[in-house]
Amino acid sequence: MRTNPFITGFTALAALAFGGTAHAYPEFQKYVSQKSGRTVNCAMCHMHSDGPEGAAPGQIGHLTMGEQAELGRARAAFEPHANVKSPILNAFGNHIINSLGKKQFLELRVTPSELANKLPKDSDLDGDGITDVDEYLTGTHPLIKSDGLPWLLFKANLAANLGQIVLMLAATVLGLWGLHHLLHGFDVATRLQDNDEESG
Amino acid sequence: MNLKETLHNTEKFLAERMPVEKMNYASMVQKKEVPVHGLAWGYYMGGLAMFFFMVQIATGLMLLFYYQPTVSDAHASVEFITDQIPAGALVRNVHAWASSLMIGSVLIHLLTAFAMKAFEKPRELTWVTGVLLLGITFGFGFTGYLLPWHQIAVNATKIGLQTIEEIGGYLPGQMAEWPRLAKEIIQGEASVGQATLSRFFSLHVIILPLAIFGVLGFHLVSVQLHGMSKGIDAKPRRLEKFFPTFLLKDLRVWGIAFMVLFILGACLPFESLFAYPLFEPFDPKGSTPDGIKPEWYFFWVYYPLELLPLWVILVGSTLLAGVLLATPWIFKNTNRQSLRLIAIAAGIYLIIMTLFGENIYHLFKG
Amino acid sequence: MLDAFLFIGLPYIALIVAVIGCLRRARLSKFTMSARSSQFLEDRQLLWGSAPWHIGIIVVLLGHLLAFLLPNVWSGILTVPLAMFGIEALGIACSLLALAGLGTLIYRRLTSARLQAVTTPSDLLVVALLFMQISLGILSAIYFRYGSAWSTGTLVPYLWSLLLLQPDMAYVAGFPMLFKLHLIGAWLFILLLPFTRLMHILAVPFTYLWRAPQLVVWNTIRRRQHAVVATVRAESRREFIKGAAGVTGATGLLALGVSTKAVNFFKGASHDPEAESAMLEKKLQRLQLTAEERGYELERQRHALILVSPYAELDPLKGKYFIDYAMAPGLAFKGKDGMPIVMSAKCTHLGCTVSNTVDSNGRVMCPCHISYFDILTGIPNEGAPAKAPLAQIAWALVDAAGKVVASRTPGQAVTASLSPEVLAQCSLYITKPAKAGA
Repeated sequence: MRTNPFITGFTALAALAFGGTAHAYPEFQKYVSQKSGRTVNCAMCHMHSDGPEGAAPGQIGHLTMGEQAELGRARAAFEPHANVKSPILNAFGNHIINSLGKKQFLELRVTPSELANKLPKDSDLDGDGITDVDEYLTGTHPLIKSDGLPWLLFKANLAANLGQIVLMLAATVLGLWGLHHLLHGFDVATRLQDNDEESG
Repeated sequence: MNLKETLHNTEKFLAERMPVEKMNYASMVQKKEVPVHGLAWGYYMGGLAMFFFMVQIATGLMLLFYYQPTVSDAHASVEFITDQIPAGALVRNVHAWASSLMIGSVLIHLLTAFAMKAFEKPRELTWVTGVLLLGITFGFGFTGYLLPWHQIAVNATKIGLQTIEEIGGYLPGQMAEWPRLAKEIIQGEASVGQATLSRFFSLHVIILPLAIFGVLGFHLVSVQLHGMSKGIDAKPRRLEKFFPTFLLKDLRVWGIAFMVLFILGACLPFESLFAYPLFEPFDPKGSTPDGIKPEWYFFWVYYPLELLPLWVILVGSTLLAGVLLATPWIFKNTNRQSLRLIAIAAGIYLIIMTLFGENIYHLFKG
Repeated sequence: MLDAFLFIGLPYIALIVAVIGCLRRARLSKFTMSARSSQFLEDRQLLWGSAPWHIGIIVVLLGHLLAFLLPNVWSGILTVPLAMFGIEALGIACSLLALAGLGTLIYRRLTSARLQAVTTPSDLLVVALLFMQISLGILSAIYFRYGSAWSTGTLVPYLWSLLLLQPDMAYVAGFPMLFKLHLIGAWLFILLLPFTRLMHILAVPFTYLWRAPQLVVWNTIRRRQHAVVATVRAESRREFIKGAAGVTGATGLLALGVSTKAVNFFKGASHDPEAESAMLEKKLQRLQLTAEERGYELERQRHALILVSPYAELDPLKGKYFIDYAMAPGLAFKGKDGMPIVMSAKCTHLGCTVSNTVDSNGRVMCPCHISYFDILTGIPNEGAPAKAPLAQIAWALVDAAGKVVASRTPGQAVTASLSPEVLAQCSLYITKPAKAGA
């Protein structure tokens, strides 16, 4: 595994807090789990659900040479708007690094709640009607369209699909009304036939 | 034992249960009447279950066009349907919601039919086929749940099948291996994998549907021939015509169900009710997420299983199955008031265990 | 000048005359507000004339009114191509129906002797103007197609501008003569409204819509029987019509909503080249992963030894990841005594892969729920979410010649100890456990 001399300093900071890895940040996960009460995993920001350590696809041990170079560039993106694409981060993770810069992100490790205030307020990467900041705070995945607080998703989808729903309601009501009268018509007509048969 | 007498008795028994002489327009449509009383809302529950089943067939067939039952592609094909196919997300979500609604209405149908003593002679066979349908429906739920091949699907199935293996602890000597072998036959291999997926897929898509068509066909013909049971102990004071009054009310219930299902399907992805790690592709080499549990309609047996010794659950389930199948004969002379109380008690148990099962579990286990 | 009169002057004159005239007539001679029905005099042709005429013209006028009152909603609906076609088709069909009915009425009015006896010049004027106006309308609809759509941008603002007392005829000044005639005709009708039989428009029998069907009770037995039959037939006919209308309407709406979607569902994913290639890439990746996995599985099936790493690359503080015989992750370190430490890296709590960095206490951490495992014993720390220790894995050191110089199976001591020079050229392997697939 390659080490970058630039981040040995920050590795020391990490070693102080959690004595070990410099590349996984469980403080944020802990904060989100506690605040939201939902189970989350590293896949909220990382490519692999168990984080960047390991040899599975999406983890550091599985990177090609080109991807390792990308990783190096991403790790050195201390200032915001560096426009990097780390191969061990998903779109949300890269969004964090590109919006805040690695330096500010590492500073936020002691106050993970502040991440919600520093990220762009109206970004909604998966287009589900819930902002990324809100999804971070409620422990739902910012890149999965079908993941979110059920009531918020319901409202957003209802607004988006209102035309179709109204059409469906109109069709059902009209159809039932029509069937109601159609069946009544059959009933009356058959009664008539019975009457005819009976009266001769 | 006179063979002629036995044959005659069997014929008489069947003739009373399957009154084919009533298979004509006059009996089945014109003269058929439905009692009107306080529990008459229960008459709609069976039809509702069938409505949801028809929705499942339609949406299931549509999903079948794109689903791929291989371990490497199952999850990706479901993702493909949801993200890439126009209205694919709607079809899939409706299929998921309708499965829960179908099982819910089947359970309510069971309880109301029980409370209304609908199994009274000559409707015993309707009841027995109904219990078989209950089992088949749960089979649909269990096999279908595995197909998306995500974390909760595979792990919940593993836990479910694990229970079978644990029966071996109660058997002596060589027989202790038999449950494990049975589990491996169900799975198709030592641990849940491609063989399991293939056979669960064939069960869900063709074997169980064929079974249900056969049993449901009998069940429906039986209901149509016998008409609606009277439902209360006293003689019903009011009767309404089946055609068109009751039929229209039934269709209205279906209309409301359709509207609710459509809105749920279009607006509320069922995955949002769970934590997202449970729906990631199954990764045998990675970690298992928190919160693996079976579908809600198994909670009534899952939480007791976690709390009580296995033999209690085994004995209890076997008794339950026996009682359910033999209900028309066990409760032959029970009045409907008692039946109603039993049904209410069962209903309360089901609701409490489903909604609060996890809390109850933590209460005892800490 | 003429334009200004025709499109600003005439409308205002017509509206003022109409309003004052109608109010006067309604107050002073309200019984003259009828259409003076001639059904008693001639009844068969009237049915074939009046019914299609009224149905057709009411639908068409309703369409005009809706476009005028709710232009935004109207144009919103018309953005759906199917809706536009439907509405235009309905308009043409109803206008032709109205024209046919009107034609029948004119024929009837001119050829029936009884009717001729009660016909006034104003009747003939009205009917002639109506015929012309409808014809002009149909011609406009044919020659200047999709009027339902373009009217919201031209005609409707013009009409509103008149009503809001800021008349602007620029909207209609540029129209072809054919359409202008239709417009002028409309103003003429409004002008003539209070003076002709057209006033019956203002006496709309709304309550007829919900009037219960009337039951005529006859006094003779035969008539009574026939009446019963007729009532029931009429009732069932009513029900069938409502039923058919409802079901057709529902089917229509359903077709509108579902048809394109159903077709697209079975058509499959859209063929956007970028999305297509992204999907293929994803599929290729998954296939490659599957192939890789199968390769590993095969290797572990066939070989009694799987390479972990050359001994020289082992480190006491930074473990090497590998895949063991159960296809689970494993870690290899160099122990203090020089012998390798080989253990499972699958956390015993929920199966995350533990980190490969050894801390100052000789432990590796599982990042998922923070458990620390001692690398010598595999035992997790007190109070960790993980309870069971990480399993040791059987290993063997093989020298350059392929001879096993040292090995260890879990629970037993290392067999053989060696000099550093020998170790330096060895490679670390894991050995196949006794029961395959354990």
